[in-house]
Amino acid sequence: MIDRTRQVVEFEAVDVAYRNRDVLRDVSFEISAGERIALVGPNGAGKSSLLRALAGLVPVRHGRISLDRHPIETLGRPAIARLISAVPAASLPFSMRVEEVVALGRLPHEDPIRGLRPSDRAVVAHAIDRVGLGHLLGRDARELSLGERQLVLLALAVAQEAPLMLLDEPTVHLDLRHQVETMDLLVDLNERDGTTVVAVLHDLALAAHFFPRVLVLNRGRLVADGPAREVLSPALVREVFGVDPELLRVARP
Amino acid sequence: MVVRSDSILGPRPRAFARLRTRRAAAITTGVALLALALILGVGLGTVSVAPSETLGILARRVLGLPVAVTWSPSTEAIVMDLRLPRVLSAMVVGLGLAVAGATFQGLLRNPLADPYVLGTASGAALGAAIGVLIPIRFVFFEFGLLHALAFVGALVAVYVVYRLSRVGGLTAMTSLLLTGYAVGSVLAAGLAMAMYLSGANLRQIFFYLLGSLDGVSWQQFFVAGPIVVVTTVAILARARSLDGFLLGEEVAAHLGIDVRRERAILLSLAALLTAAAVTIAGLIGFVGLVVPHVVRLAVGPGARGVLPLSALFGAALLTFADLGARLLGEIPVGVVTALIGAPFFLFLLRNVRTGYEL
Amino acid sequence: MRHLQAPPSGRSEGSFRVRLAALLAAGLIAAGLIAAGCSGASGGFTPVPSVGAGTTAPQTILPASPVPGAPTATPAASQSSAPTATPPTSATRSPSATPAPAAATPGATATPSTPVPSAAAVSYPLTLVDDEQNTVVIKVEPKRIVSITPATTEILFALGIGDRLIANTDADDYPPQVTKLPHVATYSSVDVEKIVGLEPDLVIAGGNDFNKPDALAQLRRLGIPVLVVYGPDIEGVLRDIGLVAQATGRPGPGSALVADLRSQFQAVRDATAGLPHPRTFYELDATKEIYGPADRSFIAEMIALAGGTPITTGSTTVFSIPLERLIAADPEVIVLGDSAYGTTPEIAAARPGWSTMTAVLSKAIRPIDDTIVTRPGPRLAEGLRALALAIHPGLVLPPAPTAGSGATGSSTPPAPAAPAASASAAPSASGY
Repeated sequence: MIDRTRQVVEFEAVDVAYRNRDVLRDVSFEISAGERIALVGPNGAGKSSLLRALAGLVPVRHGRISLDRHPIETLGRPAIARLISAVPAASLPFSMRVEEVVALGRLPHEDPIRGLRPSDRAVVAHAIDRVGLGHLLGRDARELSLGERQLVLLALAVAQEAPLMLLDEPTVHLDLRHQVETMDLLVDLNERDGTTVVAVLHDLALAAHFFPRVLVLNRGRLVADGPAREVLSPALVREVFGVDPELLRVARP
Repeated sequence: MVVRSDSILGPRPRAFARLRTRRAAAITTGVALLALALILGVGLGTVSVAPSETLGILARRVLGLPVAVTWSPSTEAIVMDLRLPRVLSAMVVGLGLAVAGATFQGLLRNPLADPYVLGTASGAALGAAIGVLIPIRFVFFEFGLLHALAFVGALVAVYVVYRLSRVGGLTAMTSLLLTGYAVGSVLAAGLAMAMYLSGANLRQIFFYLLGSLDGVSWQQFFVAGPIVVVTTVAILARARSLDGFLLGEEVAAHLGIDVRRERAILLSLAALLTAAAVTIAGLIGFVGLVVPHVVRLAVGPGARGVLPLSALFGAALLTFADLGARLLGEIPVGVVTALIGAPFFLFLLRNVRTGYEL
Repeated sequence: MRHLQAPPSGRSEGSFRVRLAALLAAGLIAAGLIAAGCSGASGGFTPVPSVGAGTTAPQTILPASPVPGAPTATPAASQSSAPTATPPTSATRSPSATPAPAAATPGATATPSTPVPSAAAVSYPLTLVDDEQNTVVIKVEPKRIVSITPATTEILFALGIGDRLIANTDADDYPPQVTKLPHVATYSSVDVEKIVGLEPDLVIAGGNDFNKPDALAQLRRLGIPVLVVYGPDIEGVLRDIGLVAQATGRPGPGSALVADLRSQFQAVRDATAGLPHPRTFYELDATKEIYGPADRSFIAEMIALAGGTPITTGSTTVFSIPLERLIAADPEVIVLGDSAYGTTPEIAAARPGWSTMTAVLSKAIRPIDDTIVTRPGPRLAEGLRALALAIHPGLVLPPAPTAGSGATGSSTPPAPAAPAASASAAPSASGY
């Protein structure tokens, strides 16, 4: 089964700057295999930057990031792609079928010359199933609603079969029911497949309910790291988010 | 925690199988069209040559078969030294332009991109104009100074665009596009000046700009043809990278593509392809723009289908267009491709939903 | 659960594949270059001058400007070692009668190096250097000639070998029967295939990009002799007549024709020598912009020879003239070279702003057949006469000799004097 002691990600005193502005300051944490983590914080806290740094897309000014105990600088993009899948924003300039979009998730694995093998196609089909998009097969991805498109991108990440999945605000365009269903799906991916999941969320209630561990960022610093119940205390909510913690009560069961 | 249950386990393999049969059908159609273009291109012209004679000449000269000579030397010269190199060059140029167009469209993620979008056209035109103005005689395998400078001009223009484009606030591809437009405009101004200064040589520049396969020789074909073929194969080998760019640079990076490197390599290859095509034939439009779109309609945007099929259909299209240009009294082939391409393009725009967001 | 794998062992295979591919690519390109080398008709690196393998021949020696008048740049005459068939009498031509700066004074410059004996027979195979420095080898006396300039067609007929012409352009119109010949060229293109199909033994083409150089290169590649003629001034035209005569084995008729034309030019010059030379504007077109002769151009030379002072555009490369400049130049005579397109003196006189010009006020606007004035062929003498009469309506010219370029327009009958005889030289122009 999953070796939950295996360290998948480590940030050690990481500083990241973007255009001469510090976006992450002295951030340190570890992620073990099989964890399910929510990353929260106010706008501009640096959440997206943290994900980007984790994926090796932005250079680190100080400190060290390790993936699977390898320093991130020693890994090439193909190696990282086999380790991390991500569901970022995307746009489609050309007409593409749903299954064609999801099939892109197999890019890190496919044969450079011959392309998709039957095994790849099976994975794609399975991913589409997992995410529940079977009824959209053959449809042009550009005709889908924003929420459906988001799910297609999620299926793409699932098809990539990477042990660590990063999601940046995956529920942004979804109504409440679909938000919950997406969360259920993430939980399922995490508990059944053992995928380590790190999701940036703006909805604290969802974070609290579905994610055992929460990291809170504020102005580039990691201000809290632990179980949701402890971390999302009224004091922190008031201080970091600047809102009345009572508002949080409404969504909690 | 419930997994969504509204999935069907049935039709998935079919979706992909449909794609594969479509691809096979498209390839067959493309090859058939190309064969037809070859036959008609070599068989038809302002001088009528009997089909039997055409076949006899080809059999004897190309295949080396011992066929009895029933035709005059001038007929043989027409078929072997005028028509055949021209038809083969049309194929090579059409192939190159279509593949370059497909590559630029995929890289820049812009359906309106064509091989000339990063200043290659203006660079080549200005190079050609300068080549006409400079009174130096230069011959390299029947390429003159005009050709050499057009080739150089195309490549230099792309290089300048690439170096000048900065990411600052824009995605790299948008920046490239805009810089390409700006540099192209400057070069076009230079071209206008050169044309103004050229006096009577204006005609030569003008005919070059219109694009034509008139006067292509075997020598030119043998020099430019391998370059086009080799570059196309090199792009084909990178089909996976091109696919990675389909959803954007960030997704490409997440999918394991070394974005900066692949972008540079693909741009260079596509620019080289365009430069080679433009050197032989001048600026022929529409092939690079329309053919990849048509192919995508049939087989989707996956590069492994789009690239080879664009090559096939681009070659066929330009060969037919050149045949038409010849039979219509040697009008510039760019006019014919525009006449074919523009209505087709409008048809595409109306019947295919092409809204896209950047 | 998957964790990071070691780099795929395929790395070394991959680079092997890459190297193999690079090798194949280099091989293919090399093979192409070798094939190109083998298939070149005359090889790729032939030094100048030679059969034009390059497709950019025109801009080499001749001046890039379109001006035909630069006297020093008539390279064929100055560089050719082959006989150029220009009779030595050209050296005696005096430049005195041409006051205008338009005087290309050919006599003073383009002295041919080797005059040809006028009646000697030509022997084949014959090697010539044409007006674009190409060495042309003509194996046998040409009996199947393709002419792709209208002037050449006229020259061939004037030399008495019009029957050898098998194809021409769609713009040829003199003599009238040539319109029935197969057309193998238009203003913008040359149908190489059609020419090849007719199996000519000589093609005569126009230089300075008149015919597309690409097409001429193709013809040469296929072994068809191509003679390029380009006469930027009157002397050049005469030289070209000699060249064509030489190439076609008609040196005798060629010399006679040239001599005759010279004497006619001289006659015009003599007739106008003592007369005032009015400022003359030769209108090429005035529908939108006004187009006239450029400095030192062919037309300017003709006007000067015809006894006028040409008004030119002020530049050797620009053909348009602003109206203000024309008004300031105040032409005393306006010759309508665009009369074939429907421009009449009345129309010209009615143009806004033109009414102050002397020519308009004195009704000295005269139509003319532009073809005979500008076509660099044997009817040039006729054109010169017509031009002289347009500028000096009462002019008395000796009759044109019956031999030579044919119809002479309205020269007055030998009865001397009398501007009265000018009735026949009415502004309703000569030589249509």
